[in-house]
Amino acid sequence: MKKSRLIGGLLMLCFLPFVSYAQEEQEIAPVTRTFVLKNATIIPQPGQMIENGQILIKNGLIQAIGKTVQVPSNAKVIDADSMYIYPGFIEGVSHTGVPKPKEEGRRDIKDPGNPPNDAAGILPERSVVDLLDAKESSIESMRKLGFTAAHVVPYGNMLPGQGAIILLGGDSPQAMVLAGNTSLFSNLDGARRVYPATGMAVMSKWRELYQQAKQAQQHEKNYKNNPRGMARPAYDAVLEAFYPVLEKDRPVFFTAEGVKDAYRVLTLQEELGFSVVLTELKQGFYMTDALKAKGFPLLLSLDIPESKEEKKKKEGDEKAKEEKEMDAEQKALKKRREEAIAKHQSQAATLSKAGINFGFSTLEVKSGDVKKNLLTMIEKGFSEDKALASLTTVPAKMLGMSEMLGTLEKGKIANLVITDKPYFSKESNVRYVFVDGTPFEYEAKKPAKKGDADATVAVAGEWSYTINIPGQAMSGTFKINKENAKISGTISNPQDGSEGELQEVVLSGNNLSFSFPYDAGGQAMKVAFDVVVDGEDFEGTVTAGSFGTFDVEGSRISTPD
Amino acid sequence: MRSILMLLLFGIIASWLPAQEGNLLIKNGTVLTVTNGTLEDSDVLVIDGKIRQIGKGLTAPAGTQTVDASGQFVMPGIIDAHSHLALDGVNEATNPVTAEVWVGDALDPLDVGIYRALAGGVTATHAMHGSANAIGGQCETIKLRYGVYNPDELRMEGAPRTIKFALGENPMRVHGEGRNIMPRTRMGVEQVFRNAFSEAKVYMAAQAKYEQERRSNSNAVPPKYDRRMETLADILKGDIIIHCHSYRADEIAMLMEVCKDFGVDRLCFQHVNEGFKVAPELADFGAGASVFADWWAYKFEVYYSTAYNAAILTKNGVITSINSDDSELIRHLYHEAAKTQRYGGLSDEEALALITINPAKQLGIADRTGSLEVGKDADIAIFSAHPLSVYAVPQKTIVDGVIRFDIANDPDDMRLDVNPAEEIPAVYLHTEEIDNCMEGVFEQLFLGEK
Repeated sequence: MKKSRLIGGLLMLCFLPFVSYAQEEQEIAPVTRTFVLKNATIIPQPGQMIENGQILIKNGLIQAIGKTVQVPSNAKVIDADSMYIYPGFIEGVSHTGVPKPKEEGRRDIKDPGNPPNDAAGILPERSVVDLLDAKESSIESMRKLGFTAAHVVPYGNMLPGQGAIILLGGDSPQAMVLAGNTSLFSNLDGARRVYPATGMAVMSKWRELYQQAKQAQQHEKNYKNNPRGMARPAYDAVLEAFYPVLEKDRPVFFTAEGVKDAYRVLTLQEELGFSVVLTELKQGFYMTDALKAKGFPLLLSLDIPESKEEKKKKEGDEKAKEEKEMDAEQKALKKRREEAIAKHQSQAATLSKAGINFGFSTLEVKSGDVKKNLLTMIEKGFSEDKALASLTTVPAKMLGMSEMLGTLEKGKIANLVITDKPYFSKESNVRYVFVDGTPFEYEAKKPAKKGDADATVAVAGEWSYTINIPGQAMSGTFKINKENAKISGTISNPQDGSEGELQEVVLSGNNLSFSFPYDAGGQAMKVAFDVVVDGEDFEGTVTAGSFGTFDVEGSRISTPD
Repeated sequence: MRSILMLLLFGIIASWLPAQEGNLLIKNGTVLTVTNGTLEDSDVLVIDGKIRQIGKGLTAPAGTQTVDASGQFVMPGIIDAHSHLALDGVNEATNPVTAEVWVGDALDPLDVGIYRALAGGVTATHAMHGSANAIGGQCETIKLRYGVYNPDELRMEGAPRTIKFALGENPMRVHGEGRNIMPRTRMGVEQVFRNAFSEAKVYMAAQAKYEQERRSNSNAVPPKYDRRMETLADILKGDIIIHCHSYRADEIAMLMEVCKDFGVDRLCFQHVNEGFKVAPELADFGAGASVFADWWAYKFEVYYSTAYNAAILTKNGVITSINSDDSELIRHLYHEAAKTQRYGGLSDEEALALITINPAKQLGIADRTGSLEVGKDADIAIFSAHPLSVYAVPQKTIVDGVIRFDIANDPDDMRLDVNPAEEIPAVYLHTEEIDNCMEGVFEQLFLGEK
């Protein structure tokens, strides 16, 4: 089969790993560490706004902010015309930058009732700093959403380890860490097949470790004062990790998604008295009064369910048909489910209206859903100012980082997010993110052109096309012939001029689609174009077998005589 | 004049206020007190969740909600001495002894089974740890306060502590067969008890020694805090009632011997299918027996059984109750109690005691529940007919003076929490578990990698 070699070559490229191109941003070469952002709408903190403002960033810090700032001669000036600048967002608790541990095979543990600590999930002495990987892909996926700092914790069960506050930029874990060992992280999840396997055993173990740590600390103190004649204290890293918790120097970030777990954590706290931050809460709406009365710092989950109703609306109108087929019981069940979804989506609004402040933890949310979920919360009555506060000032304060992070103020770390429209609007794109004064630039996402079934366009002629494979572009031409109502076409290889016949050529309104078979090194595949024609130009997508879908655009070279 | 006006005004305002929670006047019912006979055409006045008065022609403060029970039967709320309802964890099956674990940390107020049990006239249950371990976790006596979201609000405050023990095949299978550790035999189960209690005695001695020593020596070091030993010590001190899963008579006798040897006298056997063989011994010991009405043959050690078990135990002077151990059976424990009239000819009062005052005694809450008496908690079930009649239908169930179930207002979907990710809620008509006491064990220990 002698199809276009060029396209063949293009598809061969598809075999190459795209990892190096996968990152949409290109780091700007650090020619200078001085930047001036001009003519932007600046939101220095929730509720404030400087129109047509300027920010001077120097050596990683915000040097000046206001209507005008002095522009040093060595500054790179970024014209942020019509853009919006916010303080960089902060993840209240996340695993960003922490590689997910490999699934362990079944481990043979001799005495499941008394397993080694690592199998039991009891590793409070472990520091997340030792687990960080500066190249971890989650750093980039969160950064491009506007997150610039995170309180990160290890993966695990009962006591995965100690958290640290990191910046979402830097070449090494050392460069990323802003503050190490700032928290103890805990879950009520049990270990697999070994003690403690259930939440109730975790609760018991918590109480035991806490009391044992108290004893051990006292023993150590006494021994230091007067060791003669006293049994020497045994060294125990697990208990030692609790000492700052006993002193309330280190808060426990305790995940509690459901209302039951949240109450259980509150019970433990009440019994033992440690400082607690309820984390990844999903059902706070069931316990608003209790949360308000307790007044503990709070991190809500950014993971919320999507309404099926809305999904359906998006997907077209299957709904009416389905509704007809449902009986009364199914309808009632569906209604309750929709109500439950709405409750979860409204959690932020409900708690916020009750006067409760909170940040967000991002342990479970997919990065691709973060912005959509924030918009849903706002749609359900959570104010934009509060949303911004939950992403900036509230977590900064909770983490004891208010002097460094959370707002755009002189002297703070230059963590910024810059968007082309207000962040909490559907159309907004993040264009720049500054982390520690280092800029990351992002392309605006082009809105996909909508096909219009009623439009009439002339497609006959020769067209050029360019396929945007990340990091490079491949070009070629194709011809569309129209005889009466029949549309056909050929695609050519400019290298050897050989031509191949197009198949499945369909013009529906202004939507043109076609495909052709291709043999990629012995593997037959279909390459399919799906584009919208607008006068002399077109854009759309091309799908190359299972290798993926890429953007394509092009324009008419000539019309038939 | 002015004060009268104020009083009037206050009266008007008071009548506008919603009926106060916990206040109730039940009128003109047949009151089955269980402990003081049957009162025809009588009233029960409830104030602040407690029974204030029982008698004829009672009046209540203005604004008190009144329930007309004419033609209906008013009885104490049913108490189930063996249930795993409202728990989201039942078995910590990783060790033959897990005395430190407590199902009070796994209470699940969102379990819709709570409402279904209320609809069967049940007002309190004994939420038990499972029977995977010889010494399982501590249990919790709960009130069915359907509608709360805080697990703590289910607890019956002040109820004595209880703990689950288990004899026979379950702990042998999980630990012996499953992992090749003790107990692999019935003898091994006994030894697990003896070892555990002996260790606890050593722990207690070490503590006592420390208490003694620290008076004169500020450098004294306490024994390392151990919650398992703390709990076992509390059993030895008599602070915790043992509720032991049991079937065979020889093993029942064995545990009584162990308890005698260690000075433990608060003991209640659960299931105790062969209890009829050792009824006099149980009575002598003062041990309770909480049995099924007629459920057996679900595993080898449960074949030698009889529906006369409850009657025989009762007639021998054993404090006996009938339990459900099951989310379906719990909805008609009054039928289960009635079976003892067919098999054993128990009187109405004896049969009702099996599901009211007797389980209350076994749980150590008989001073507050289990009968309709002035001063007790207003846990009340109202039936359309005599509750031992096959035609009886529960009408209202009242916990602490609050109507938690009312057949006149009984919507289909009473789930308190709906999973937003679940299209149609899963309904399990038959669970594969052969024994509810083994809930979660196989998932936890032997299945899959997840």
